[in-house]
Amino acid sequence: MRSLIYLFIISVATTASGVSHAQGPVQAIITPVNITLPSETLLLHPSESSGFALASAACYTCHSAEYIKTQPKLSQTTWKAEVLKMKRIFGAPIEDKNIDPIVEYLTKTYSQ
Amino acid sequence: MPLNRRNFLKLTSTYLLGSSVASRLLSTPAQAETIKMPFENGEREIIAYPQKRPLIRLTSRPPQLETPFSVFNESVLTPNDAFFVRYHLSGVPTQIDPLKHRITIRGLVKTPLSLSVQALQELSTPTEIIAVNQCSGNSRGFSSPRVPGGQLGNGAMGNARWTGIPLRDILNKAGVLKGAKQVTFRGLDTAPLEATPAFIKALDIDHALDGEVMIAFAMNGENIPLLNGFPVKLIVPGYYGTYWIKHLSDIEVLDHTFDGFWMKTAYRIPDNPTHSILPGQTPAKTIPIARMNVRSFITSLSEGSTINANRETLLRGIAFDGGEGIKTVLVSSNSGQSWKEATLGKDLGKYSFREWTLPFTPNQKGSYTLVVRAITRAGNTQPEVPLWNPSGYMRNVIEKLHVQAV
Repeated sequence: MRSLIYLFIISVATTASGVSHAQGPVQAIITPVNITLPSETLLLHPSESSGFALASAACYTCHSAEYIKTQPKLSQTTWKAEVLKMKRIFGAPIEDKNIDPIVEYLTKTYSQ
Repeated sequence: MPLNRRNFLKLTSTYLLGSSVASRLLSTPAQAETIKMPFENGEREIIAYPQKRPLIRLTSRPPQLETPFSVFNESVLTPNDAFFVRYHLSGVPTQIDPLKHRITIRGLVKTPLSLSVQALQELSTPTEIIAVNQCSGNSRGFSSPRVPGGQLGNGAMGNARWTGIPLRDILNKAGVLKGAKQVTFRGLDTAPLEATPAFIKALDIDHALDGEVMIAFAMNGENIPLLNGFPVKLIVPGYYGTYWIKHLSDIEVLDHTFDGFWMKTAYRIPDNPTHSILPGQTPAKTIPIARMNVRSFITSLSEGSTINANRETLLRGIAFDGGEGIKTVLVSSNSGQSWKEATLGKDLGKYSFREWTLPFTPNQKGSYTLVVRAITRAGNTQPEVPLWNPSGYMRNVIEKLHVQAV
């Protein structure tokens, strides 16, 4: 009887914390999983400006076009901060002289 | 621009896209189904990924998939195939052999370990916890003024039953040495560029040893979907999803505070009680994002839904927070002028979604503004006016729905 009471107390305690012993036997995880990710379907919006080609070459290195296309209308200052973050922190292959053309392309294309 | 093969070839030849991008894009499928999120520039594709039903695609590389909100009305536990996906780095491990996977525990420990999944499973008695995993930037698309980042609706969250081994048991097996301050966690995902900071997150040693933080090998009683972290995932109950490392492979105990980019610079919130500032201000000090604040939603109706006048409709929804537990859910049918207390569903633990229901009979035809707010056991509740911060984190404003009684 006493042990039953202890069990009851333990079960109340575990419910309160949200943690409890797992039910049922543990399943062995042995089967490899191989997946193929669906293709990308979007590109950056084409433009005559040099920034388009430069952005296409740099941005696609690490991410798809939605990272840019789904943004709200960001200010030129914010676009520049993003491009600088990509270059300085993430290591995007962007030469210093190409920063402004890319920022100009992004601002003109996605913030107007 | 329409992405047909000819345009694409022109683009690639003119602008010398990487060949890997070219091969991905050349297999472009036919017209995808789309959805419009309720904010500007909110058009999204609906697309099925491996082990997933069709979900809202925010980005394709790295993949970010949002759960359609109607899923949260299906069940209190979010089905694995509907659970949101969020990667930071595009080197997603698409082929994982669980027999070869290892979790290393190193750093300030007596005995460094390299555990197979089976060894992990046999390390101690598996435990279960039902807990919400919510993206720090869930609902960022509603930020006003808008902020850069993943423009998510409300679907970057989910609630699942996680089965695994407490991290405490694993760390104790390795033997944490004196002077330990933080523990870092890393998974198999990588960046294409070596210069990109690896996605590594850190928890304080006391948190890592609290018995609740877990390395999970099962999600809702099944293997974790690959895109959610197969074969093992770090579960940090009550904390935002940024800490829930997928494909967990490396754990390091440190004698100092980890200063990597994803802790020191990214995922920071203003260091004040509401973790918010006014737009245009700069936070005086920031801290790493941590525990979730309280939120509640109506799930049985959506914006613009039609209900019957003079007939009872059972309103239903969910509420959750970062571990205080939900005490009360209040619902208003008149823009918050008066409130009724909803009936709470089964308590699945303080980290779980808590279902709520409330019968509602509109006594005349017309428009109704339904409002829901939750209060935690510690008395915390949701703000009437959205809190704002520069990264669009932690949105938890009281939610409103406009419905029509006919």
